[in-house]
Amino acid sequence: MSGLRIEHVFKRYDNEGKGKKKKVNDFAVKDLNLVTEEGEFVALLGPSGCGKTTTLRMTAGLEEITAGDIYINDVRVNDLEPKDRHIGLAFEDYAMYPPLTVYDNIGFNLRAKGVSKEEIDKRVREIAPLMQCDDLLDKMPVKLSGGQKQRVNIARAIVRRPDLLLMDEPLSHLDGKARQAMRTEIKRLINEIKCTTVYVTHDQLEAMSLADRIAIINFGVLQQYGTPAEVYDDPVNEFVAGFIGEPPMNIIETTIVGEGEHFFFTFKESNLKIQVPERYYNVVSNGFKCKMGVRPMDVLIGGPDSKGTPEHVATFENLGDERRIGIRVGDFLLMLITEDETRYKAGDAIKLEVRAEKTHLFDIETGARIRSR
Amino acid sequence: MKTGPKTGTKVLLNILLLIYSIFALFPLIWMVILSFKSDAQMYNTLFVFTPTLENYRIVLFTTDYPKYLLDSLIVSGFAVIVSVVVGVPAAYALARYDFKKKEDIAFQILSFKFAPEILVVLPLFMIYQKLHIYDTYFGLIWVYQLISMPLLIWVVRGYFEDISVEIEYAAQVDGYTWYQIFFKNLIPLIKPGLVSAALLAFIFAWNEFTFPLLLAGTNVQPITVAITKFLGTDTAHYGQLAVAAVVSALPAIIFALCIQKHLVRGLSFGAVKG
Repeated sequence: MSGLRIEHVFKRYDNEGKGKKKKVNDFAVKDLNLVTEEGEFVALLGPSGCGKTTTLRMTAGLEEITAGDIYINDVRVNDLEPKDRHIGLAFEDYAMYPPLTVYDNIGFNLRAKGVSKEEIDKRVREIAPLMQCDDLLDKMPVKLSGGQKQRVNIARAIVRRPDLLLMDEPLSHLDGKARQAMRTEIKRLINEIKCTTVYVTHDQLEAMSLADRIAIINFGVLQQYGTPAEVYDDPVNEFVAGFIGEPPMNIIETTIVGEGEHFFFTFKESNLKIQVPERYYNVVSNGFKCKMGVRPMDVLIGGPDSKGTPEHVATFENLGDERRIGIRVGDFLLMLITEDETRYKAGDAIKLEVRAEKTHLFDIETGARIRSR
Repeated sequence: MKTGPKTGTKVLLNILLLIYSIFALFPLIWMVILSFKSDAQMYNTLFVFTPTLENYRIVLFTTDYPKYLLDSLIVSGFAVIVSVVVGVPAAYALARYDFKKKEDIAFQILSFKFAPEILVVLPLFMIYQKLHIYDTYFGLIWVYQLISMPLLIWVVRGYFEDISVEIEYAAQVDGYTWYQIFFKNLIPLIKPGLVSAALLAFIFAWNEFTFPLLLAGTNVQPITVAITKFLGTDTAHYGQLAVAAVVSALPAIIFALCIQKHLVRGLSFGAVKG
């Protein structure tokens, strides 16, 4: 028994309209495989246009599947109408029916199914407090704020007791505060209703904080599928490494130099030198070129008697509870985050240390992770 | 703190407005006055005269005037109905679907309004003769589409574009068919635009002169053309002419007043993101 199973799904949009005489469009989604556990919260994460919303829409039945199969609770849904798939869908733009009150909006899909009036009333009143919209039931959608609309929108998706709850960037139109509040609320809700959920977002923070597992997609291809900790600590390639984390991982081209028994990362136009972790010694050699990735948290400023490389501060941002310092390494700006209270200004001399064991190696051409053998 | 213009400016503005409204309304007022004058007093009185309803009696009860009025109603009414039935789906398609030459087609529809009617009426006249639809209701209703359809399509299209497509998806997931979505959800949403565009189209069609003058004449005679009949070859019965004009202007004026509020809101709301 599984929530959602996507097997070898492809999507290609037909090439109609829009003048350009390209014969065949590229696949919007390429050979996607994804299996969720029952009750799991999975985030589809990727930049705009990567195919995550397309995947969601194919699952919902709003989009044809070019090839492959989608199963919801082991039922193949490819040829089922959206209404027969037992899904709830929360939209990005809220998609409320403007002429109806909030109450009717929530109950609308139950009415379509011919559920009795008493039953509708019971279920709407049951869901409303869960989404904190019991005070809103008599209002019209135009009177609601963005956050309220989204709450109603989600209430509408879960009132039908779906087997699978789909959410399409539900927070993207909310501003900072409302977005945070709503995120917490979604988390609480999901804990309460324990419904298998697929959540589309381009915000890695949302994905990291909400999801049990994250599927990172780029150019229609699934890059990595794993728990937030896995994708953060063990990214499979440069894209995932750069996409997860804020500020993103520092990824710099490096040439490896062997000195005596040890290998070091060296960088163009910089005297920064970092020892290569010994676990990579069997994959690197003198003159080996690759990319080195290190998270800003793993770059440190050493004390007065540090053995770190002397460098100069290029940028300094004080964000209150953390400080971001940029250091020029060749033409790359290496970012580091510190909670240290010291205020720096551009040009200050510092000693730079890097937690060498936390570095990752990526192939220059393909961006694939180079692992120790 | 005072934010509006100063009192002096206000007075000046109002005086200017007054002058303009007299200028704009005077022909109408003069027409109404004329309609109550007898032929004898037509040329030798200005505002002081013995009012008479004789002109109204003659025009409304001794001529075919009611028939012309009916013709106008039939032609304009059906023209708008056809425009709505054809134009709303067309506007929906132009707003929602992506197809080849979409913008070209939309522009083509708008371009019907570009050329002066007198420019296209000659070829139309010949086509109408050949098709034997000259001087028929069908022919006039058809040609009136040039006037009412572009207006309707462009206004309603703007409304459709403002409706989030996700509403349609939501309804689909809720289990409604496309037709149910269209009639239950989309039509109510575009109603303000549809109503104002339709009424405006009706007024335009009602006031149309060139097409009915040249493409109809004996069987079908809208009021605009029929009025010219009151200009006799020997004498001009200005009183009767004025009555005909006053009565024919009534529906348009009544409509315009009724929908005044909706008209401005309806026509501006769709175009500008609100």
